Amino acid sequence: MRRAERRSGLGGAESGHLNLVPLVDILTSIVFFALLTYAGAALAALTAFDLELPPVVVTSADQLKDIKSEKDVVNLLLAVRVSSDHLEVEHSAEGGYHTRIDSLNVRSLDSLQALMTDIRARYPQNRDVVVIPSDDVAYDDIVRVLERLKKARYSGIALGTKARATPVTVP
Amino acid sequence: MSRVRDMRTVRRAQQFGKFRVTQLNLVPLVDTFVSIVFFALTTATVGELAPVVPGVTLPESSVGTPALSQLTLGIGAVVTLANHPVMNTSDAAAEPSDDARRPLKVPTLYRAMKSLADSLRAAQGVGADGAIKVALAIQGDRTMRYDLLSRFMQTARLAGFTRLSLQVQRVDGMAR
Repeated sequence: MRRAERRSGLGGAESGHLNLVPLVDILTSIVFFALLTYAGAALAALTAFDLELPPVVVTSADQLKDIKSEKDVVNLLLAVRVSSDHLEVEHSAEGGYHTRIDSLNVRSLDSLQALMTDIRARYPQNRDVVVIPSDDVAYDDIVRVLERLKKARYSGIALGTKARATPVTVP
Repeated sequence: MSRVRDMRTVRRAQQFGKFRVTQLNLVPLVDTFVSIVFFALTTATVGELAPVVPGVTLPESSVGTPALSQLTLGIGAVVTLANHPVMNTSDAAAEPSDDARRPLKVPTLYRAMKSLADSLRAAQGVGADGAIKVALAIQGDRTMRYDLLSRFMQTARLAGFTRLSLQVQRVDGMAR
């Protein structure tokens, strides 16, 4: 019997056990720090629209110093005006272009995207557009317009504001 | 007799000593791998997520650049700057500007933003009116009107935040 045990190499072998204590220690540390750093904020997959500053008209010699290359000069002033019931697209080429798209639903946004894609194809050097919403337009509608402009491959999007001299109304 | 047995034991120990089974403790290795798998899975799922300001229902979009967790201006019922409440949004909308040339400025928010901008400038070694390299993310409620959003944007730019970014909820692409 002993000889057989010796031959098989099992003589004196202890039954194995898995030490779970370090694992429990690590998991406890993870739970502790997770609870400690919990900020109460919900997490979500977000996307961002990086805004450019709207173009300015150069009126002084000092402003000319800020122009470092030709890229800093806008060669096509393109604007999309957003109202609660219609959209307007304007640009400075061809002696001034202006078109109006009624409503602010999915179909009119499709028309806007098609039109802006066409303008982008005709003036490929221009990637900038200024969006000028009316005061009463909801933020959600503005984002829908920005989304369509991104889809039309405009990367330099600026949000402009109508000139005003009085404080805005309280919503 | 006993001496002979002892000698035999010693001889066997010398003979089979080189065949002794060496134990390899795999427990720390398993622990480490469990931790690695845990953090890999957590980072893969949570890493793409950014914190949303509590009380804000964001608009949705299928395009845009991936949003990073960064300095955030939250606009819900309360205006928060870097997770600290600044003022009620209704108060901000009603607050008149103290600068006739800047009618959109919100003075209370401007002071909070200017203080934050100055501390960022000091940390970055930028001059008093230098441009801040840090972008300001705006998380606004989808029902907010543009006249209010434009006031916050104007105030942020006056405080020195020239790089603004609108953070919205990402959805899978389809026409909305």
